[in-house]
Amino acid sequence: MLALDRRDGDVTRGARAMAPWLVGVVPFGLVIGITAAHADIPAAAGWLTGPLIFAGSAQVATIQLLAGGGAAIAVVAAALAINLRLVLYSATMAPHWRSLPRRTQALAAYTLVDPTLAVGVRAYDSSADPAVGHRHYLGAAVTLWLAWVAAITVGLTVGSALPRALHLELVIPLFLAGEVVPRVTNRASARAVTVAIALAIVGRWVPLHLGTFVAIAGGIAVAVVTEREAP
Amino acid sequence: MTPYLVVLAVGLGSYAFRVSMLVVAARSTSGLPPVVERAARHAVPVSFAALATSAVADSGGNGSLVPLLAVGAAVVAVRRTGSPHAALLVGLPVVWLVSAVLP
Repeated sequence: MLALDRRDGDVTRGARAMAPWLVGVVPFGLVIGITAAHADIPAAAGWLTGPLIFAGSAQVATIQLLAGGGAAIAVVAAALAINLRLVLYSATMAPHWRSLPRRTQALAAYTLVDPTLAVGVRAYDSSADPAVGHRHYLGAAVTLWLAWVAAITVGLTVGSALPRALHLELVIPLFLAGEVVPRVTNRASARAVTVAIALAIVGRWVPLHLGTFVAIAGGIAVAVVTEREAP
Repeated sequence: MTPYLVVLAVGLGSYAFRVSMLVVAARSTSGLPPVVERAARHAVPVSFAALATSAVADSGGNGSLVPLLAVGAAVVAVRRTGSPHAALLVGLPVVWLVSAVLP
């Protein structure tokens, strides 16, 4: 009984550790839902980005590019370029999850994204017993998933009722701009972002709506080359 | 390809990324190539910048200065406060204000 209580406590502590993240995550989910409601794509497709992709930035890219008439291959490539970081997250969690059954690893991996990585790693690092970390991760991941899908659902429902005069189509570019600024921390990132902006402007004339993908690829290429050349 | 298939493809690709190193981990301990690490580190700001620029360019396609002014104000607000949330808190009121003033 005592062991059961302790296990429940680990899960609850994981859920609580996720709470501060929800302050930023829930508004983001609402914004995605509102954007999907106003975008020129089926509402159900916009909603499905939540449970299927489960990564806000890639969801934004998918909805924005689909709504803009982007070619399917360009939309998929751009969204996956954004989610490339998940490979690194997978590498980070691999040592912690090695002892888990494959089916459990497969389920845990589905919820792997920025907040669960941060909360999960902290739990594994602070406990000598991996099982405590597993339960902590479970509580955090379930909390995030429920909050994320609920926020998108609410945004989608409320968003369609809001008047166009509110210019909610500008919510996402404003949100994105706000997320870019703190991430420009050195010359390489500044050059990369500058190149991406320039290519995105020029890319409006690239056929098949490939301009955004070209801008992302160009910006990342500049960052990689610039960092390699730095002493 | 319908929007549903695109969303499914992105979802499957993202999941493949998530499990990729779990599969590889059992066989290798050398980690990822440095070039992939660097690319992944810059993927988010670069992608967000490109997406925001495209969205602003599309919104301002009819010559409207509203999106440009709003994003400019948002960037200044975030730089001053250090908080990404300032972008919406400042940017949206600028959108409504400028839209009301300009024809």
